[in-house]
Amino acid sequence: MSSNKKQKPPPKREPETGDGPGQAQEEGAEASLTIDDLDPDFPREVMSHEEARGLNHCYACASCTAGCPVHEVFPEFDPRKLALMVKLGLRTAVLSSPHLWACTACHSCEEHCPQNVQLYHILNVLKNMAAREGHTPYPWIIQTRNLARTGVIYRTDESLREKRRARSLPELACEGEKARAVIEASDLGRRVERRRRR
Amino acid sequence: MSRYALFLGCTTPVHVVQYEVAARWVCERLGIDLVDSTDFICCGFSQIDLDGEGALQLAAVNLAQASRMGLDILSLCPTCTGVLADAAQKLEDETVREAVNDRLRALDLAYEGGVRVRHFSHVLYEEIEGAGRALELARDLSGIRIAPHYGCHTLRPEAILDGPDDPDAPFTLHRLIALTGAEPVDYETLTLCCGGKAFPVAKDISFALVRKKLQNLTEREVDALVVQCPTCYLMYGTMQDEVNKKYGTQYRIGTLLYPQLLGLALGADPETDLALDLNETSLDRLLSRLD
Repeated sequence: MSSNKKQKPPPKREPETGDGPGQAQEEGAEASLTIDDLDPDFPREVMSHEEARGLNHCYACASCTAGCPVHEVFPEFDPRKLALMVKLGLRTAVLSSPHLWACTACHSCEEHCPQNVQLYHILNVLKNMAAREGHTPYPWIIQTRNLARTGVIYRTDESLREKRRARSLPELACEGEKARAVIEASDLGRRVERRRRR
Repeated sequence: MSRYALFLGCTTPVHVVQYEVAARWVCERLGIDLVDSTDFICCGFSQIDLDGEGALQLAAVNLAQASRMGLDILSLCPTCTGVLADAAQKLEDETVREAVNDRLRALDLAYEGGVRVRHFSHVLYEEIEGAGRALELARDLSGIRIAPHYGCHTLRPEAILDGPDDPDAPFTLHRLIALTGAEPVDYETLTLCCGGKAFPVAKDISFALVRKKLQNLTEREVDALVVQCPTCYLMYGTMQDEVNKKYGTQYRIGTLLYPQLLGLALGADPETDLALDLNETSLDRLLSRLD
């Protein structure tokens, strides 16, 4: 939309044509990209996950972006742009982008994609990779820690127990034994630990 | 009489207790038997971003527990419904299931498949509308304008959920509202996302989305907004004051959970049976219309 304001003399290009890969470059790496910013293995690495394989079928029509509620209120969040950045191999820019975590998981991008690209799932693959590299946002760490303690993503305390009793609701188990065992046996524990050490 | 394992999820029993209170009352009244278990944990949604495999493992713990109870799952939260249904579908594949069970055995659990996961509202729709059952309404809600908010995860992903709605033109909550005698109101931002998932990291995005809907609802002069998801409830009900503060607006959209509305129609006590006193927004515009 208003995305090519940085292009100096707009060489009689309509705005719609300006926000292709060129803009991904601008935002991905402040000024201009060099060949060193591109990691040709990155798209392959992403697409090695079954749910991300369809990325090859993306022809950048932007149906995902048009239907994205986050994009509507925050244009910098742009699913199509993320898809293009992955295909270009902009590994660092993608995995360290805070925008990755702003997705509201509404699944509308997937529902509207004419090529059946599972963009929500691709975003999850990217977030999993980002988490492995220590980019997990702090609120997510807290949720994992709470889960290991209580079995739910929140802290539970005596005031909650009282509130539930007052409404004649059954006691919550409030013990995370099983959740803790899953977290410790999976990669989750390590992903939280790594973020803690950073 | 239908019988389900009640899956509460994380948000409802901690932050939206009124949803649980009202859901239990409505189920008892309609003869839907809910069986509690203290062995359920987070459905896994919170961990999907960090590690898809670990998240699947968490979902499998819950499916295995329901399977041990010999029951299908009734979930109050649409997000949990989708996540558990998605996991159940993945775990129908024997190779996937075996890999997951290898780890579950350490917890003395195993999942053999076959558990169906339903959202509360879809069960209600089936049990009342689907069965052509007439409700005995104790209060007259006619003429009360109620806006439905479906919530993304009651509609998508369509292939996973076994609800009857078309994600772009949903109707079940409209019907459920009409069953109470109230008037379901259509509006432009009907299927707009509440932004709840982004809230912990991008509050501004969530609030901008909430504001759009509240503005639209104010123009449509609705008497209340009805939701069927605890996260959507938090965004429209609990956060409304904060949204007003942020934008200098004066939105006053009374927000309640669907079983609270149904309970009112069926004659429940607003406080004891439906915990309406816990709703943060004023429901005067709705309640003043009841006898």
